[in-house]
Amino acid sequence: MSWVNELRRALDRIRGQAPADAEGIEGGISCEEAAERLYEWLDEELDPEMSERVGTHLEVCARCYPVLVFERSFREAVQRVAHADLAPQEVRDRILHQLASQGYEEGAPDDD
Amino acid sequence: MTEPATSDAVFEREVLPELDAVYRFALRLARDPEQAEDLVQETFLKAYRNRTSYTPGTRARSWLFTICRNAFLRREERSRRHREIVAEAVQEDPARQSGEAAVFQAARERDPEGAFWSQVVDEEILRAIDELPDEFREAVVLSDLEDLSYNEIARVLSLPIGTVKSRLFRGRRILQKRLYEYALAEGIFDRPRSEASNDYEEGSR
Repeated sequence: MSWVNELRRALDRIRGQAPADAEGIEGGISCEEAAERLYEWLDEELDPEMSERVGTHLEVCARCYPVLVFERSFREAVQRVAHADLAPQEVRDRILHQLASQGYEEGAPDDD
Repeated sequence: MTEPATSDAVFEREVLPELDAVYRFALRLARDPEQAEDLVQETFLKAYRNRTSYTPGTRARSWLFTICRNAFLRREERSRRHREIVAEAVQEDPARQSGEAAVFQAARERDPEGAFWSQVVDEEILRAIDELPDEFREAVVLSDLEDLSYNEIARVLSLPIGTVKSRLFRGRRILQKRLYEYALAEGIFDRPRSEASNDYEEGSR
């Protein structure tokens, strides 16, 4: 998959700047594997065991941690706009009116 | 007497509270408030008429997003084929992809902690999202803004999970490139340096 290779290349370049003693097998996984799973980890898509391993690696690896910090800042910036827009009240009213004409009853009791 | 799976009470409790989320999704899809309003109305009307296809207790949000997106695609039918061809070209263009990787690298070298992201104004982030090609925009919006899981996104977009992952990756990279270029143009990188220095206030020249 091309995006994996892309991230791999990015990590290879970073590796040049990392301390020589950083072997990058923290958490029992390689930098490559951590890079492949970085977004999945941030998106909380990994099973608990893999999440733990990737998380440990990303937090303690001298090469991968900066990438994590960078990506996390990016994500926080994007998520800031998540609730930027609310549906206008007229739209809400129009929808409720339209639903009522279809037989919808507001505040109807729960079925038993 | 037959009871629908989704009663009005369930509809009110689980479906209607997603109105803002559906509106935001429609707005990011259509990039036009008027069309977004129409889409939301159409979505909720269809949702109510088809409420038996909703299983109470499941995620109403992704069910509604699917209805909303289908309505949007039907409206866009005429220009859709053209856009898919354009999208394909974007996806397959290796020069573009290596350009995105280079920008990612440049941004990281310039600002390893990505502190500049927090200085990009909200309007610019929304504009950058709106400028993403459709297939990347959908994935990024559903994941980063509306908090759907990969599985839910795959269902809404009728795509395999692997494609969802690669679209998220590319979409986020394109967004990073766009925002990095904005930060460069706005001189965001020069700001912390001048703020940190008090030389100007001391009047030393």
